Amino acid sequence: MENKILEINKLNVDFLSEESSITAVKDFSMHINENEIFGLVGESGSGKSTVIKSILRILPAPGVITKGEIKFKNQDILELGESELSSLRWSHISVVKQKALNSLNPLLKIKNQIIDTIRAHEQINTKDAMERCNNLMDLVEIDRDYLNRYPHELSGGMRQRIVIAIALALKPELIIMDEPTTALDVVVEKEILLKILDLKSKLGFSILFITHDLNLILNFSDRVGVMLEGKLVEVDSAEIIKSGGKNTYTKKLINSIPDVSNYNQVKVDKNEPELIQVKDLVKNYSRHSSFFSSDKFPAVDGVSFNIYQNEILGLVGESGSGKSTISKILTKLIDFDSGEILFNGEDISCISKSSNLLNYRKKVQMIFQDPFASLNSIHTVYHHLSRPILIHRSYNKYSKKERDQIVEKEIISILEEVDLSPPEDFLYKFPHEMSGGERQRISLARALLVQPQLIIADEPTSMLDMSIRMEILDLLKGLQDKKEISILFITHDIASACYMSNRLIVLKNGKIVDSGATSELINSPNNDYSKLLIDSCESGWFIKDKSR
Amino acid sequence: MNRSWYNRMWSNTKACLGIIIVISFIIIAAVGPIFFEDSNAYIDTPLLEPSYEHLFGTTGQGQDVFAQTIAGARSTLFIGFSTGFLVVLLGLIVGSLSGYFGKRIDNALSLIINIFLLMPGLPLMVIIAAWLPPGPFSIMGVLVFTGWAWNARVLRSQVLSLRERDYVNAAIITGESNTKVIIYQIWPQMLPLIMASFIGATVYAIGAQVGLEFLGLGDVDKVTWGNNLYWATNDLALLTGSWWTFVPTGLCIALVSFGLTLINYGIDEISNPRLLSERIVKSRLPDLFNRNGSTPVAKDLFGK
Repeated sequence: MENKILEINKLNVDFLSEESSITAVKDFSMHINENEIFGLVGESGSGKSTVIKSILRILPAPGVITKGEIKFKNQDILELGESELSSLRWSHISVVKQKALNSLNPLLKIKNQIIDTIRAHEQINTKDAMERCNNLMDLVEIDRDYLNRYPHELSGGMRQRIVIAIALALKPELIIMDEPTTALDVVVEKEILLKILDLKSKLGFSILFITHDLNLILNFSDRVGVMLEGKLVEVDSAEIIKSGGKNTYTKKLINSIPDVSNYNQVKVDKNEPELIQVKDLVKNYSRHSSFFSSDKFPAVDGVSFNIYQNEILGLVGESGSGKSTISKILTKLIDFDSGEILFNGEDISCISKSSNLLNYRKKVQMIFQDPFASLNSIHTVYHHLSRPILIHRSYNKYSKKERDQIVEKEIISILEEVDLSPPEDFLYKFPHEMSGGERQRISLARALLVQPQLIIADEPTSMLDMSIRMEILDLLKGLQDKKEISILFITHDIASACYMSNRLIVLKNGKIVDSGATSELINSPNNDYSKLLIDSCESGWFIKDKSR
Repeated sequence: MNRSWYNRMWSNTKACLGIIIVISFIIIAAVGPIFFEDSNAYIDTPLLEPSYEHLFGTTGQGQDVFAQTIAGARSTLFIGFSTGFLVVLLGLIVGSLSGYFGKRIDNALSLIINIFLLMPGLPLMVIIAAWLPPGPFSIMGVLVFTGWAWNARVLRSQVLSLRERDYVNAAIITGESNTKVIIYQIWPQMLPLIMASFIGATVYAIGAQVGLEFLGLGDVDKVTWGNNLYWATNDLALLTGSWWTFVPTGLCIALVSFGLTLINYGIDEISNPRLLSERIVKSRLPDLFNRNGSTPVAKDLFGK
């Protein structure tokens, strides 16, 4: 029998409202053994973060724990007082969060942040504390000189390693890792994951691992728990879950894992005319601008590509690669510094008069990443969808009543096209009354109503739950085919880009590092970076081929 | 969302009490003066103590203090609310232009805002008020001139942050004009802040207006709360111990400001979800709630 380090029995967590309450976590039971990695999987809103916050008792109001026990080494955390809790936190259970920059204080040197953490729990003199700092830096393999630097002077991967070092500072038995590598690019992600495994084998702690990346969690964890609507629907070893598990929901989740082998094999017909030509596009942002000088850094650095009519071009890149900047330039939300963009042979930087701009807007539309932010919470679906019609079409010869009828009819037909049925029910809904997928369909409908030639889709599925991503992608692909429009499909997820696109370009640090037809690029990438990107979709990629 | 806003406003004790106080004063200001033909008229011996005949006594000029207190409400509240409105309107327009368009327009407008913020308000107010012909509109002008910049600054930063939201970009890409984006997409989202600014500006306007009139910079023939205080000092109310000549007016000013501040607290509690959720836990689990403490454990909340 293995030793249980953490045991949760029938935990219930409620969020109180004025009169009633909502149960966010219900009858949640699980345990973590010593020296084990336990992965927790679930879609947004399934209660994963509520569980971690309850373990540390840091869930903010109106959350209240209403039932169960959380035993850490046979001691019930729910019965501890304030002072016992603060000695438990960090020295026995510590946390590594997603955004390393947010977990580090920008005003303190790395050294002081580590020492502060140690001193909060132990009486220790400066010399011993420095010794501990040096050891921690050796452990995470960062040069000791960096102890005297500030967080902004370190790269994202280094910061995340510092955060891990701080989490290890008091030698905790359990580390909760909440999306520790989500903000990092694959190269760094691989390095951090290997580091974590290495440290675990040296120091022997347990990990509660949470990420939205199903592929990663299945390969990284020993056992996996699947959460749905506040309940744990299945717990089993990673192998069994990977092969589909027993629960139908688990099966659905496993089937939604993106797979590069399922790529779009249709090659673009190069005889189609070019819709948009981008040549040597450069956009600089100034970092520290003062009165006398400004330190510029290029977000987009000499990028050239074409989009043909009636094709889907996939633009793959990680955060900070400049892909959002490109989408903002193409939609004329921001200006660019140098280069040339021709749309139907016309230079778009010459568009200045508002009538010309309106004409351009009619041809280029956009779908945004976050379906919760791209619709205004105070307006109904009707408002959102009537605006593009009223702006771009003229109804001078009709009376107001006739015009309203035409508009309503048109909205209903577009709602049918994006598979929202029955469409009449959606007309007067507010954004908060719809799910993420439904909202994204409304965004798509808004873009289509203008009858554009190009739709820029900026990560249209990355904020959606795994199980509905495919539906939205298929809808987008189907409509593109039917209406013969071009799509610039921007994403960090190479698998969905492959599924969608005829051609791919890979962007890194503002430069194009690889490009080509999807089928060619997938099978023979020209570049180490794109090869690693493609590998990262396979299971166990980060352990494979450790030397690189 | 909007409907529940009214309901939540009414179910919030502070906001509800504030609204009742302010509305009662508005009713008094609107209806009250009808019952007094001329509140400036000489009616009895000066400096009579409060009695059944003259509820609040008489002033040093032999006028009825009760009549003057009620008559003063109209002018003071009118100037207070309209100044508050104008200050916020001006602040909203300048702040929106500055925050929305950014770049050069923002630089220029921010410069103007900063200059107005740096100017010493009180002396400037006194000098301009003394220079303009005395009267309610001069006072309104002075208060708007010296008071708009702070609101412009606050509203600008809110516009600056809302401008980056995806739904704003989406509206621009759809082809919506800038004016429509500001009015239909940005302003409605700022409503709680605009309301709070309006109330804050009104409290400021009432205070500053009373202050100016107290210094004799208003039209001293008119009956306003500020002038009531001005005449009370002129008639040496403190030396003669005739407290009833200034206490009723002073109390009214304090009560109106108190009511407005309560409404502002209410808006804050309603629009700030953190305060709301803390209040819920505090009211349902009074023994367990601790603002900076750990998550409460209430195993008997729903019985066994």
